Amino acid sequence: MTTDSLVIPKPGNTVIRIGGDARPWIAGFRCDVCGAAVTERTMACRACASRTPPAEFRAVETGRLHTWSVVHRSYPGVAVPFVSAIVDLDDGLTLKGTLRGVDADALRHGLPVALVFDDAGGAHDKEGVPYVGFHFQPRENQA
Amino acid sequence: MSDVYIVGADMIAFGRYPDRTYWQLGAEASLGALDDAGLSIKDIGAIYASSCFNAQSMLGQKVLKEIGQTGVPCINVSNACASGATAVREAFIGIKSGIYDAVLAVGSEKNPRGMLGGAPFEGPPPEGLFGSESMPAVFAEAGMVHAAAYGTTLEQFAQVAVKNHHHATMNPKAAYRKETPLEEVLASEMIAWPLTKLMCSANVDGAAALVLVSEKKAREIGMSRAVRVRASMLVSDPYEPRNPVMFDCNSVTRLAAAKAYEMAGLGPQDLDLVELHDCFATAEILHYENLGLCGEGEAGRLIDSGDTALGGRIPVNVSGGLLSKGHPIGATGVANMVEIVEQLRGEVGARQVAGARIGLSHVLGFGAAAGVHILEKA
Repeated sequence: MTTDSLVIPKPGNTVIRIGGDARPWIAGFRCDVCGAAVTERTMACRACASRTPPAEFRAVETGRLHTWSVVHRSYPGVAVPFVSAIVDLDDGLTLKGTLRGVDADALRHGLPVALVFDDAGGAHDKEGVPYVGFHFQPRENQA
Repeated sequence: MSDVYIVGADMIAFGRYPDRTYWQLGAEASLGALDDAGLSIKDIGAIYASSCFNAQSMLGQKVLKEIGQTGVPCINVSNACASGATAVREAFIGIKSGIYDAVLAVGSEKNPRGMLGGAPFEGPPPEGLFGSESMPAVFAEAGMVHAAAYGTTLEQFAQVAVKNHHHATMNPKAAYRKETPLEEVLASEMIAWPLTKLMCSANVDGAAALVLVSEKKAREIGMSRAVRVRASMLVSDPYEPRNPVMFDCNSVTRLAAAKAYEMAGLGPQDLDLVELHDCFATAEILHYENLGLCGEGEAGRLIDSGDTALGGRIPVNVSGGLLSKGHPIGATGVANMVEIVEQLRGEVGARQVAGARIGLSHVLGFGAAAGVHILEKA
């Protein structure tokens, strides 16, 4: 350790990238030929089989709720209830995440949401390096 | 090329077998299917064995060590919840190729306890942090897409469980044989909205087996109880936006169904019964449309109409389905064909679909695979 207190956190999920300034962002991959956007780097386009690998892009952090479930029983030790959400980001990438800050009664297809980075529930790796996670929250007054 | 016939079918009663191995369960089902066909293991040219959780364990060879090591090839397959249909499909290809006159397909499984699903990961455990990977949540999310598009209600999803649990009361081999009125389904523990516990499949052990033969062999045995395989189809998931972030169980099923109907030269209007992959109650609603049993958006009305119950226009899951007969993963796809075979023979007693001549079985493997078989009374 140095006296420099800047600790670069680690991505807590495969779609998270950490920039040189330690700020996180979401990576997607888009095919130049057919436009398909996916969350993983692939050797060719899985949609059109173009041999030009889809190129990485920085995804926007706003989107709309496509579907969800309120999870009341999960694996042992996981705090419930929580909202498991499928969100279509505004530039075509789809992510799964936990949606917070909204009543179950207010959940609806098309609900505008924002992606918010967080501390991944306070998780650290074995060396004590913190993880970065994300969740979704409703965007106010933008229905 | 020869047509392919099923001349032997059997399954063990699904349930928990803490004192028996999965290969013993598979061996019991295999002997049952051989006895049903009037054949010996010495008549079998190849074994196609399916399991999800024990796929690397040489299941077929283990079965032969129980019932006779004849030295024939064993092809051990795994394809998630479509493993059983994959074994039958490979068996079908074995006969169709002309290499074998008689083969055995056997699926066997002892499921892990508890809620299935989840994936290996690095970093913090994702469950709850990044939504849910549990199977109930995945199929709840799929159901809510239908609800958002068509107004499908919690009660309509729940009626699937009411119906299939009712059917299971007439199946002595079903794991759960208890009526569950709508109020009871709705009042059971909420797992992942809109799925309550009684709308989730029964996590149990089981095994099932089929003997498939060439037309020549079928004629030797006698055609009176034979069932002809009109279509044997297996597909993987075509590209679909959102999948696999959001598991899409629709496009893969639709692809398998379209190809199976084409292979059989018939359509959904020709079916007398269907055993489909009701891993969760929401899934059955989606598959009504995926298999063409009703038009787009009409699945909620179809369950309400009673047409998919025994005695209705197109009975679905008269065995009790995965919801109550049970879902031993690698055996499921074989077992739902055992039900179709026994129905077409007219041998199932109280749950018999009157005059059944053509039946369809469907399974869905997460990841994804879909298998559709269409069987006809010979």
